[in-house]
Amino acid sequence: MMLIPCPFCGHRNESEFAYGGPVKPDRPEPHETGDEDWVEWLTTVPNPLGPVEERWWHVKGCGTWLTIWRDTRTHEIVEGPGDAG
Amino acid sequence: MGYDASFERLPINACFDLKGSESALGEWMGAELLPGFPTEANRCCKADGLSLDHVGPCRWLLQADIDREAELNAALRPHAAPAEASIVRISDTMTTFRVAGADAAHVLAIGCPLDLHDTAFPEDAVSFTEFFGHKALVRRCAGGFDVSVEQSFGDMTEDCLARALR
Amino acid sequence: MQVRRLPSGGRIDRDRPLAFRFNGKGYMGFSGDTLASALLANKVRLTARSFKYHRPRGIMGSGPEEPATLVELEGRHASANRAATTVRLEDGMAARSVNCWPSPGLDLGAVSQLFAGLIPAGFYYKTFKWPGWRLYEPAIRRAAGLAGAPDAPPQDGHFEAVHAHADVLVVGAGPAGLMAALVAGRAGCRVFLADERAEAGGSLLDRRLEIAGGPALDWVAETVAELTSMPNVMHLQDATVWAYREHNFLMVNERSPANPSIQERNWRVRAGHVILATGAIERGLVFPDNDRPGVMLASAAQAYVNRFAVKPGERAVVFANNDSAYAAAANLLASGVDVAAIADSRDAVPGHASDIAGDIPVMAGSVVTGVRGQRSVKGATVSGRDGRGASTIECDMLLHSGGWNPAVHLFSQSRGSLRYDESLATFVPDEAAQACVSVGAAAGELSLASALRTGAEAVARTTGTEMPDLPTATGESYAITPLWRVDAPGAKGRAFLDIQNDVTVDDVHLALREGYDNVEHVKRYTTGGMGFDQGKTGNINIIGTIALQKGVPLQDVGATTFRPPYTPVSFGAIGGIREESVVLPYRHTPVTRWNLDHGAFMYEAGARWRRPGYFPRGDETFQETVNRECRAVREGVGVYDGSPLGKFELKGRDVGRFLDHVYTNLMSTLEPGQCRYGFMLTEDGLILDDGVAMRLGEHRWLVSTSTAHADTVNGHMEELLQTQFPAWNVYVTTVTSQWNNATVCGPKARAVVAALGTDIGLSPEELPFMRFADGHVAGLPARVVRVSFTGELSFEINVAPRHMRELWERIMETGVPFGIEPVGSEASHVLRVEKGFLSLGHEVDGTVDAHDLGMGWIMSRKKADYVGKRSVELRRRSKAVRRELVGLLPVDKKIQIPEGAPLTPGGEKRPSEGLVTACVWSVVLNRWVALALLENGKSRHGETVHVRLKDATIAADVMEPVFYDPDGRKMRS
Repeated sequence: MMLIPCPFCGHRNESEFAYGGPVKPDRPEPHETGDEDWVEWLTTVPNPLGPVEERWWHVKGCGTWLTIWRDTRTHEIVEGPGDAG
Repeated sequence: MGYDASFERLPINACFDLKGSESALGEWMGAELLPGFPTEANRCCKADGLSLDHVGPCRWLLQADIDREAELNAALRPHAAPAEASIVRISDTMTTFRVAGADAAHVLAIGCPLDLHDTAFPEDAVSFTEFFGHKALVRRCAGGFDVSVEQSFGDMTEDCLARALR
Repeated sequence: MQVRRLPSGGRIDRDRPLAFRFNGKGYMGFSGDTLASALLANKVRLTARSFKYHRPRGIMGSGPEEPATLVELEGRHASANRAATTVRLEDGMAARSVNCWPSPGLDLGAVSQLFAGLIPAGFYYKTFKWPGWRLYEPAIRRAAGLAGAPDAPPQDGHFEAVHAHADVLVVGAGPAGLMAALVAGRAGCRVFLADERAEAGGSLLDRRLEIAGGPALDWVAETVAELTSMPNVMHLQDATVWAYREHNFLMVNERSPANPSIQERNWRVRAGHVILATGAIERGLVFPDNDRPGVMLASAAQAYVNRFAVKPGERAVVFANNDSAYAAAANLLASGVDVAAIADSRDAVPGHASDIAGDIPVMAGSVVTGVRGQRSVKGATVSGRDGRGASTIECDMLLHSGGWNPAVHLFSQSRGSLRYDESLATFVPDEAAQACVSVGAAAGELSLASALRTGAEAVARTTGTEMPDLPTATGESYAITPLWRVDAPGAKGRAFLDIQNDVTVDDVHLALREGYDNVEHVKRYTTGGMGFDQGKTGNINIIGTIALQKGVPLQDVGATTFRPPYTPVSFGAIGGIREESVVLPYRHTPVTRWNLDHGAFMYEAGARWRRPGYFPRGDETFQETVNRECRAVREGVGVYDGSPLGKFELKGRDVGRFLDHVYTNLMSTLEPGQCRYGFMLTEDGLILDDGVAMRLGEHRWLVSTSTAHADTVNGHMEELLQTQFPAWNVYVTTVTSQWNNATVCGPKARAVVAALGTDIGLSPEELPFMRFADGHVAGLPARVVRVSFTGELSFEINVAPRHMRELWERIMETGVPFGIEPVGSEASHVLRVEKGFLSLGHEVDGTVDAHDLGMGWIMSRKKADYVGKRSVELRRRSKAVRRELVGLLPVDKKIQIPEGAPLTPGGEKRPSEGLVTACVWSVVLNRWVALALLENGKSRHGETVHVRLKDATIAADVMEPVFYDPDGRKMRS
């Protein structure tokens, strides 16, 4: 049972959240994207052994969709590459 | 009964769901109507029988006795509010259980993962969290806690509370 | 007679005798006993049979490490597979051994000992392969015969699971844990202290040590009293911390809660810091017949005399490779047990150990090579390590000590790493992975003084407080030379590594020979360490055996992974109050009570709602009930409770363009007062939901969703708004439970609503199909919406839940002259199938798109983009064969097609070309009708296709997927 940092509520029990999956790149402009690139964006989800950026919805709390970096090996919530400094 | 605690189901409150920026809402409703905006997340401000609960980003619940629903509705004019202010009457949406007694905090903890110790959840705290698996709004009351759950889960929550209090 | 009970001493209450039964015979014990200590007091030695070979076994340990004696508790204590050493004796308790029938003394299964040589490790895997393990498993399981689950819930009390929060969670109330809790408590921290034993003290209860110049247990009592006086300290005994999960989340199983109505409680504790003061567990030595009744861990024997005032035997031989057994021997001697000899495998015995031994003969450089006696130890054969000078010493007890293993289970569960410590010959905690510190014996600090010191230090460091003055403690020292197995010449017989699972040295050798040379593979192949005791006394001997055989250091072999639970936990405690009516959540509407009062047969519908399936009347058959309800709607009027539908109010300047993005069709063009049916897709083009959007005002909209997908749609909208369009001015408020509705439907619906009394104009001109109006119905504030899910003229009357029951009763009253019937979900299903309306989960199964359903019109061509558009276009370009929605009329109209049945070409046993999604008895056509997804179905109307069942086929004619009022005149009327 993880303890997930919510930007509004602070640390809350994982059971208050719904998993939203790994963060994919921004949605490409559909009409300016080739079929292969579209399928790639649609179906390829980051699945690293290590830190992954993912979304959680604080559905039983304040309703915020938040983003964390979670280490898939340990469940540790870590600093993302962009968070440093 | 194993615990020094009891519960009762309260009549519904007048409750309005407010969304928007503080300025948009404040401007529409007028400062005199509101008890003031709480400065912290998951805290409430109370005045004149009204409670304004800061329960989410750009989200507040304005609560009062059900007798004041019509008066508040007239003052808030939800349907006339500008695009930047969302005001929705949700008085029927939740049903509230008052759990009181020396063991109230323990009974709450059977259903709720939130730390309700007075150092973590002070007098003016109010927050959505989980109660017996479902979304619930928890706040303190005299001698215990008020827990509001979505109305359709009311019977199940009552069932759970009765079992917890055995 | 408690013939082995000492006249004084021990932590038992001689004024509170307790009667109990074991394998049908009556005995007496005392309050403070465990079942094991009471059995030993009564001189019951043969207490169990082993799992695989049915060898006779006795009590070998004194706590959760017990590998041999598992019992099943009966009656009101009913519980299966409990170690007798961890069962607190209670008056009237009845227990029996597992693994044997009819008793451990006369065990018919013991015949398997004769074949023991034929059942090596992996025997079952190798032998019972054909035609499949499942064929043999039941018989083998019965023969192995662990106890079954209790067949009734507990009769006196219930289970509870509860959350807790602590700054410092201290695991274990031995000297280190008590010291840690004391420092943390004095510093004002919120402390949670849990210990598995009935009373605090840990190993101090088992031994005779001194703290601050007095008996150690006096210090324990003072410390416990101080902790009890602190409101910030929660102190639980008989409470095992059994799981250490991520983010410092730990589970504690409390077995004697103060609230008498609670049988067991499971605490889910979130801790800032965790102090692991879990102590150490003695391991056994590995020698032939080291499982005979009367062979016991030296520390267990010490615990029985000191803590329970029980002599586990009259004459002992002690076998050790370390110093700790000497104190045990001395304590036994002082309690009147004859200690014949200490056989020490070390060539040189440290001076302080010999000092403790006093007059007990010490045989240095000696090992036990054999045990005499099958059902009870009668003697031990001792020889030099080289096998020379063997002699047999008469005894009824063989006490052994292979050294001490820190209880690293929780530390390892927390993902902390372990390090092999040469001087202690065991694994100790190395790098912590979470905010926890191991202290005392759990950290390999085996002396009492260092236990007190490390316990205090850990908390002082964590909380930034000063180190307190530490009390003085009896000095001890500990030295060990590991002995992983006795392999002296002449040592013959089974030497067990895992007593509970009957795993011997030979089994491990076999596994290694067969190529299972990783410690995890050895574990799985031999089952070593997989019993209820999780190999607490034997695992490291397995690692040592592997290391010796492979000629590598133990560090390189490594330990197997420790997993929760540390000791067995009742499932009931994990579930807590979630039993009986609240096993699953459920939701009611204000009409649920009315439905039950009117005999409705209730179903669980989507999203946990309980809804009426049908309203049986008199001696009607199920089909007659459903037909009656359907006919009411088709010919007269019916009403159903549509409250569970998901509803969301959307507010803001950008709602129109947002809805255009999430729906396939154009919503922004709606005028206030209008509504439109639409599809929402996921980005990969599959149908997420179908629902209705209504425009309430310039910037206000209401979105209604299917019941089952309300939460999904809410999450979908919020995710888009918060992550993709944060700048858009759209606010979403859930109003599912702010609006209930009763939907009046049928040709007489308008007349019924008019009779209820309303200020809303109901004529087709004033309130046409797909419009709504706000006003009053039956004097209640209401919104009336003209949508139809039955194909009939329908008025969905929405009111606040506080008015719903009243509205419903008024409708039922007012409707009497019109012959109104309440309609359940069975009839609703028939009505929608007759119309060919979709149902998510039936026709919409995660593969179809709107075109397949004949609803290409709903996919806007005007909009450049919306969620799912690109993917649907891409998929349709592939020209792959699609399964399309069709209607089916069974050629024999009296034949019902099972829902879900496959369609195959010609009804042959060939790959399917579709499936039947729904089949109902149509009251308008007086025959069975079905909907199906069929390959290229739209171009196959008029064909006859075949449903393939196991032993039959059903022919059916393909048609348009609509059986009633194809132009929709009735619902628009």
